[in-house]
Amino acid sequence: MDHILSLIIFFPFVAGLFGFLVNKDSVRAYGISVSAIEFLLTLVLWVGFDSSNAGYQFVEYTALIPSFGMSYYLGVDGISLFLVILTSLMTMISLIALNIEKDAKNLIISVLFLEMTMVGVFLILDVILFYSFWELSLVPMLYIIGAWGSARRVYAAIKFFLYTFAGSVLMLVGILYMGFLYHEATGIWSFALPDWYLLQIPLQMQLWLFGAFFLAFAIKVPMFPFHTWLPYAHGQAPTIGSIILAAVLLKMGSYGFVRFSLPLFPDASVYFLMPIAIIAIIMVIYGAMVAYAQEDMKQVIAYSSISHMGIVVLGTFAMNAEGITGSIFLMLSHGIVSGALFMLVGVIYDRRHTKLMSEFGGIASVMPNFATIYGIMLMASVGLPLSVGFVGEFLSLVGFYKVNWVMTLMAGSGIILGAVYMLNLYKKSFFGPITHEENRTLKDLNGKELTALIPLVALVVILGVFPKPVLSTIDMSVKKMLSLMEQKAVENDTRDLIINVNSIGGKR
Amino acid sequence: MITLTHYLVLSGILFSIGLAGVMRRTNLLMLFFSTEILLNAVNVGFVAVSKYYGDLTGQMFAFFIIAVAASEAAVGLGLLILWYKRNGSVDLTSLQMMKG
Amino acid sequence: MEKYVYIALFAPLLSSLFVALFATRPKILFMGILASLLIGASMISSFILLFYVNAHGALHVKMMDWISAGNLEIPFGFVVDQVSVIMMVTVTFVSTIIHVYSIGYMDHDKSFNRFFSYLSAFVFSMLILVMSDNFVGLFIGWEGVGLCSWLLIGFWYHKPSAAWAANEAFIMNRIADLGMLMGLFLIYWQIGSFQYDIVFASIKFLDISIVTTIGIFLFIGAMGKSAQFPLHTWLADAMEGPTPVSALIHAATMVTAGVYLVIRCGDIYSLIPHIGFAIASLGAFVAVFAASMALVNNDLKRIIAYSTLSQLGYMFVAAGLGAYWIALFHLMTHAFFKSLLFLGAGNVMHAMHDELNIKKMGGLYGSMKATAILMSVASVALAGIYPFAGFFSKDMILEVAFNEGAYFLWFALFIGAGMTAFYSFRLVMLVFFGEKEHTKYGIHPHEAQPFVIYALMPLGLLAVIAGFFEHAFRGFVTKLLTNYDIQIAHGTEVLLIAATLGIAISGISFAIYMYSRGGFSKTLENRFCYKLLINQYFIPKLYELYIMKPFGAISNFLWQKIDVKIIDFSVDMVAKILYTSGEKSRKMQSGNLSDMLRWMVVGIVILLAVAIFYRPIV
Repeated sequence: MDHILSLIIFFPFVAGLFGFLVNKDSVRAYGISVSAIEFLLTLVLWVGFDSSNAGYQFVEYTALIPSFGMSYYLGVDGISLFLVILTSLMTMISLIALNIEKDAKNLIISVLFLEMTMVGVFLILDVILFYSFWELSLVPMLYIIGAWGSARRVYAAIKFFLYTFAGSVLMLVGILYMGFLYHEATGIWSFALPDWYLLQIPLQMQLWLFGAFFLAFAIKVPMFPFHTWLPYAHGQAPTIGSIILAAVLLKMGSYGFVRFSLPLFPDASVYFLMPIAIIAIIMVIYGAMVAYAQEDMKQVIAYSSISHMGIVVLGTFAMNAEGITGSIFLMLSHGIVSGALFMLVGVIYDRRHTKLMSEFGGIASVMPNFATIYGIMLMASVGLPLSVGFVGEFLSLVGFYKVNWVMTLMAGSGIILGAVYMLNLYKKSFFGPITHEENRTLKDLNGKELTALIPLVALVVILGVFPKPVLSTIDMSVKKMLSLMEQKAVENDTRDLIINVNSIGGKR
Repeated sequence: MITLTHYLVLSGILFSIGLAGVMRRTNLLMLFFSTEILLNAVNVGFVAVSKYYGDLTGQMFAFFIIAVAASEAAVGLGLLILWYKRNGSVDLTSLQMMKG
Repeated sequence: MEKYVYIALFAPLLSSLFVALFATRPKILFMGILASLLIGASMISSFILLFYVNAHGALHVKMMDWISAGNLEIPFGFVVDQVSVIMMVTVTFVSTIIHVYSIGYMDHDKSFNRFFSYLSAFVFSMLILVMSDNFVGLFIGWEGVGLCSWLLIGFWYHKPSAAWAANEAFIMNRIADLGMLMGLFLIYWQIGSFQYDIVFASIKFLDISIVTTIGIFLFIGAMGKSAQFPLHTWLADAMEGPTPVSALIHAATMVTAGVYLVIRCGDIYSLIPHIGFAIASLGAFVAVFAASMALVNNDLKRIIAYSTLSQLGYMFVAAGLGAYWIALFHLMTHAFFKSLLFLGAGNVMHAMHDELNIKKMGGLYGSMKATAILMSVASVALAGIYPFAGFFSKDMILEVAFNEGAYFLWFALFIGAGMTAFYSFRLVMLVFFGEKEHTKYGIHPHEAQPFVIYALMPLGLLAVIAGFFEHAFRGFVTKLLTNYDIQIAHGTEVLLIAATLGIAISGISFAIYMYSRGGFSKTLENRFCYKLLINQYFIPKLYELYIMKPFGAISNFLWQKIDVKIIDFSVDMVAKILYTSGEKSRKMQSGNLSDMLRWMVVGIVILLAVAIFYRPIV
């Protein structure tokens, strides 16, 4: 168990390299088995994880360039554990559902490389290495969209790449400046995140650094008004690309907020709380309304991601254990649910080669299993209790209520608008009479698709009914982070706010 | 009395002439001449300042420049002849293969 | 005893899940029977619990932890106390009958199995709603019944109207749910728990303005589920669902969840009587408002739906004025006679081949005697004639209003009672008596299968006698709920009862008199009042015109103009500027040595200028 984290990061990479040697006909089976082994490894990680220890576990440390404090530093805690499991799970599921024949080998190898970078982002504690993996994750995705996408794939791929890439450049500047500050304060060079956590930074500098990191994360999440790459990327990406993009890549942004912005710059986070909350509310309402206006099923789900990520951001900036735990849980649930929804859209796209809602109608009677699973995912997406979507949304909103109730009310309108666009989508495509003759002969889900979807349905229900093991593990690490933030805050206002939003009753 | 200023002004004028030649001429041979003028303008400046400060380094530097200019002219003219033999012209407009 | 709690709760879930396995198969009669048996088991457990609670008091079980984060702890816990057990008994009793009835009603439907799966799922959600020991558990059920309502209204999803109505119901409920969620959040941050016992124990220590806010938020939730104005339009449209669904969900159980919430939170609302009075006023308004729409409607099911709305208004008057046990009592009796009315209407619909316009019926008494009698009994009970069930509960609500000195509310309810009597008998007269209009359409009505009629008998019986349990009921539930005594002088009370009975009887007689002579003249239909009522005060139109249309337009605007034309355009603009500037400056790289030299000179000049003029700021 000593080097399990390295194993988890580099296993897909090495397996991907060997993938070049694998015969074309068996490469799908190869990809699935590699991702399944990877998933099992992450499960082993969970089993071995000590859920009473809030700190980093399975830590691996090797100095790379000691004179500049750069190291190979891995560790996992409650916040990142489940994101890693989500990554390996969704990669496996999306490979199972894969049905692209053209150059499947290259695609699968790209996906495996992508898996390495995503897992790396969540597990690496050295900031320079984190940044490398963060940027590296763009490359396989660029290939996946650009090579296997639909008509405007090159435009979408380049837009995705350049936009997110441009955003992270400022983060690099921020990272270097942070390293410099650390050197100034201690006389040693270090880019290890746990070291940085201990550094108290004056407010003015925190504001600048927060801004530098913010842009990178905001584009990745994506936050309004930096979101426009998302609909294109989703619209043009192949199904597998959309699944991974929605399920994992977006979470890297919100993970960045939890891992970097909050604990490194607590005062700046509080200082910018209101503007960010306003952006988050705009994301929720605007995303939902634009989703309602869409004609393309996939775009509806793409914009719904923006809406849901708005609640994630809101929960993160609630600054209390309820909100942050909820927002991390919501990341997981959104990963599962939106991944499944994209997969479902892919299913219908394969059969009809269109995603326009107007081309459908009444398919509930032709494809009952499809309609049922779609319905379950839809209900999870609108946050029905006892489905996975509710827990995170409820906790995030509970958390933010303590900060500001009017804003919570506005963000809460997301649960109404979410129902509006989702039910509208469902009505247009599944209900009503069958209007297109081609739809009469559509085949229901086949074995492959069911194999991919049923585990997700099961997860939606299981995590909705019994989220406690996941929640308590996350909660523990979040509480530790909050106490750290409270200790290192340089402004008294910040400390007061953190204490206030974490306590019941009290002053008004 | 000829002061340092006069030399430097001369050097400046020569330099300007050379520069104008470099910018205006399209014949490669003329360009060579212009660069020689530029180098010699600098040489005049070096020598004048060297004399003014009483430091021989400047004059030595001028010799180096002359040497470099001579070898450069030798290699350059050689290439020029080669080019003329191949293309029948030493005009700059015939030398446009790296167009962006 | 715990095992009965679990049987009562999970038998419907088991039924739903098991039957769901066969949802896409053709009809399997056994599925209907199995579902009915399992719901029956749940009913029997509920009755056992009723006796247990009567003898030993409330039962509290905690199944497992659900959510825990920060200071928040939410378990799956269930409480069976006097209030929830009454709700359980009512729900499971009516559900069992409706399950049996549905075996006959859905006989020819190709989605027979799916129907039972949904119906059982509804019962499960409703039981969660009433049995939970905390607000979030209640919210699970609250949303669960909303989901089942969506599934069941949209059961015949191939009809666009049904699909639309289903979505409308879900979305309207969601609007209210947001209010409720806000109430829950506020409770949590003030008290730190969602458990009823903890919340009710510490609510009185809170600032009154906070309690008021909590009360308002929770009532917004109740307004959606109980379809109170202005969120009432979904209920009438929900009649698109199969009739057993209308009987179970949109008459007997789900729509009363709002009333249940107010009753359950009696400890909160008794601290804020002003909000209670507002609730009562809204209830009285809805009672008259809905009854007036029922007066002229010609759709068999919609009339009953408006009547339900009106009766919910009555319940809210009682609950708002603090007479919680009376509200609960009316909730129970109403469940019996209203589901009976709906199920009778279902029989009529079957006989008439799904025709709903009562103007096209008439004279059905001849061919469907049993149904006619049952529906008449239900109508009499609804109208509130002694000794039928409706009389006791409804009359007490009027007395409560009078007792509280809210004479205006009393008067509204009084008028409402007259209207209720009139429209009930207008329906009975037009459907069962008078000219046989249906012969013009070539329909030959027939009575429902015998077992269906037998299934309705218990409801008929209860519609008649339930009122006599008043004292036992009161004694039972007031162990938990605050007691409410009506202190009106005996003489006045007799006078009030007489007046209420009088107006009800005159309403009935007027209906019988008018419709036995062929009804009103057609010219009335041109009057503005009629137009107003038949169009439901134009409220659905207003919603469409001023909410739905603008919402769609704004959404489109946001997408087409803001998102594509402004935000995305400016992003692309940045790229375009870079691109065109590159394209333009490409010309610099002409490959011509002279040009390069010139650019070099330009560069040198700029560097020189910088070297000369730039002084770093010190």
